[in-house]
Amino acid sequence: MAMDSHLIKLGDHVVFKMPSEQTRVYKLEENTTVNLGKFGSFPGAKLLGHPFGLTYTNERGELRVMQPEVVKELEETQATNEYIEDVGDAVQPLTYEEIEALKKSGADAAEIISRQINSHANYELKTEFSKEKYKKRKQAKFSKTFTALPPSLPNLLDHFTAQGPARVQHLRIDTLAQLLTFANIQEGGRYIVVEDCGGLVVGAMLERMGGTGRLLEVHDADSPPAHHVLGMMNLSQEEMSPLRVLNWATAEETHTPIFPPTEVSGKKIKSERERRRIEKRKEAVDQVLDSRRELFEGDWDAMIVASQYEPFSIVERLGKYLGGSANCVLHSPYSSVLADVQYKLRQQGGWLHLQLTEGWLRRYQVLPGRTHPDMNVQGSGGWLLHAIKVYDDPSASSVVHWEVQARKKRKLDAVASDATTPAEGETEEVAMEPAVVGEATEDAGGAAQVEDMLLDPVPEDLNVDGNAALGEALPIQGAEPNGIDPAESRS
Amino acid sequence: MWNKRKGIEAGDTVILWLTRDAVQPLVVTPGKELNNRFGVYRHSDFIGKLYGSKISSRNGRGFIHVLRPTPELWTLALPHRTQILYVADIAFITAMLGLKPGSIVLEAGTGSGSFSHSLARTIGPHGALHTFEFHESRVNRAREEFQAHGLSDIIDISHRNVCKDGFGLENAADAIFLDLPAPWDAIPHVRTALKKDRAARICCFSPCMEQVLRTVAALNESTFSDVTMYETLLRPSEVQPISLQSVDTVADKLKIGEVQKEARRLRQIEASVGGQKRKLEELDSAADSADSNDGTTIQQQDPKHNGPALSKTTIDTAIVSKAPQEVRGHTSYLTFATLLPVAAVTLWIAEEKASADGLAAC
Repeated sequence: MAMDSHLIKLGDHVVFKMPSEQTRVYKLEENTTVNLGKFGSFPGAKLLGHPFGLTYTNERGELRVMQPEVVKELEETQATNEYIEDVGDAVQPLTYEEIEALKKSGADAAEIISRQINSHANYELKTEFSKEKYKKRKQAKFSKTFTALPPSLPNLLDHFTAQGPARVQHLRIDTLAQLLTFANIQEGGRYIVVEDCGGLVVGAMLERMGGTGRLLEVHDADSPPAHHVLGMMNLSQEEMSPLRVLNWATAEETHTPIFPPTEVSGKKIKSERERRRIEKRKEAVDQVLDSRRELFEGDWDAMIVASQYEPFSIVERLGKYLGGSANCVLHSPYSSVLADVQYKLRQQGGWLHLQLTEGWLRRYQVLPGRTHPDMNVQGSGGWLLHAIKVYDDPSASSVVHWEVQARKKRKLDAVASDATTPAEGETEEVAMEPAVVGEATEDAGGAAQVEDMLLDPVPEDLNVDGNAALGEALPIQGAEPNGIDPAESRS
Repeated sequence: MWNKRKGIEAGDTVILWLTRDAVQPLVVTPGKELNNRFGVYRHSDFIGKLYGSKISSRNGRGFIHVLRPTPELWTLALPHRTQILYVADIAFITAMLGLKPGSIVLEAGTGSGSFSHSLARTIGPHGALHTFEFHESRVNRAREEFQAHGLSDIIDISHRNVCKDGFGLENAADAIFLDLPAPWDAIPHVRTALKKDRAARICCFSPCMEQVLRTVAALNESTFSDVTMYETLLRPSEVQPISLQSVDTVADKLKIGEVQKEARRLRQIEASVGGQKRKLEELDSAADSADSNDGTTIQQQDPKHNGPALSKTTIDTAIVSKAPQEVRGHTSYLTFATLLPVAAVTLWIAEEKASADGLAAC
């Protein structure tokens, strides 16, 4: 990893945040002119060598670093809006034409704002909070300032979400972060990724891999995807090195990919250029063959999916290459899509800890005396289905099966001995038993019985975790034999 | 962190998954036995099995799954000594602090060391986590765990009260995480410890709003900028198939009921009046109209035999998801702020004098 990645260097992408909160992304080449519309333009090279994160004023291309904005306490006054009349335009006699003339005469933002305040009919009647808000609004309009932010995950997501959240599959920073954490992405890992977020997820994973391990992306094109977002992340060549790609055809074990010839037999190579071209082609073909071999060898540590395609079809093709205990994390903007997948995976078996969640995020403004959550927010960052791959053992007998058999036997024994009082309330317990376990008694055969219970509304991943049914059933019966209280572990 | 082998060996730390609500760590020790509600196991049974295997108990009374530890599974399984962070917070803090391999991070307090595991995972062998805890026995237990999990090269734990004594580090950290009852007391020390050549980040984790407000005031005072606060949660959904019956079926049943009721009424009248021919005719015509009503209802004259007709009606199975009855509604408030490179501030001060009548005028 580049240790000076906090400094802006030639070829870097920079996210420019304008006073209006809008962002623009520029790649800084030697002759790049950064154009921020009404907030001015300047030669991008002026930022080279600066640390990311600073705010600048821009006066006709001359940049000056601004003092970081430090929030001060506001003095509370007796002012209210009791005497403020809404008189429309009359409140501000300064016209648009006059302001434009001011700008042309070279007046800076501070000057224009102070002129506006002076001519404002009700400014002095405002509360201090209201005055502050007014100034902020005007500054956002007239200040020629900008902040040079790094293309970090939160900054890039903000940028692309503003352009249309569908471009990043409606991911939000919380759900993107959860993908990486649930999948346990780290240095040296081997991961599979399927995404339609312009390479945002690929880049997020590469950043966490530090140039080690292997990241295999399976995509839908006949040539490697362009990845416009990934290209903005300022990843070094080393950080990019774990990435390999296959498409849905070349990722199919039974398919024999058709490649153009990589050996020139018979005829002589005409030129050095042709020789190089063929060498390059051979390299590409070899890489596809190597990646296929790697994929089919299996034992991958995790898979992340944030794709426009049906997720179950993806898991069906690639899930078999995950190793034992590997994490499979699927994202979708639609809960119903993942609910279907969860149901299918539960029936398929071989998955533990199936968990469908939606991310919830609330941001607060924390200005002194003005703390409140944001008024307008992104509705959802989408849903995640998390599952852990396990090796099933059909011969393993579930504790539910055993306990049910034992209880049945005890019940029969009790009847046989013609007990007048039910032993330990055992017979009563059977009568009160929830349908889940009651139905299971009809079926013999360990784990298989548990699968039949899937039709009952029990939200646990039963087919692979038959014991869970017991956890569901026991609280109804009362005492927990081993003192395992499901509620306790959640506290 | 931990190992990457496919198979389980003696001495490995594994995670036992009994149920979703019973997850526990285990160091595989040959000769030892495990005995619980889900059966009897010998540790030696696990050796040679693949991570992720389902293991049947020796007495046939249940099974367990043996998983490879991850920081998040460890968080589910670890013996709680203090309140721990939840996975939504862990993920969000890591992303918002911009942590990656090679990052230098400070953490106070260590608590149960659960978040330390997640941090160490992300920053990797080239990163460094300096974690601080003022409770001595917690320090010792966490240190033992870091050692056992092979994290000692990444995590360095100190017994220290950072609010009083600071971090003992200057210009050293890319990011700092504070999970302290009074984080505002540590903010001046945070300022010292953070790197000054880049935008360095802090996150304070506090359950109460009053703590947030005091922290924000301290951050403002120490010239942090971009102070923002977040809450984040995971909202779980329960997925299940349910049957959704159409009201068409209900209407059909009610219509059959109507006819039967009328037939019964007429039969009663017949019985009470006694064999009047007129009534009999009426009864027959009622039964005829029921028969000719609709093909599906022919067999439904007798309510005890309405099975075949019902099977013809539409009972659709839908896969649905809904929120559980009770979910976590709050964990903590996460306050983030940035300390911008000090060079910028010095620059500005020089410029401020030059344009004293600038923005300050309004």
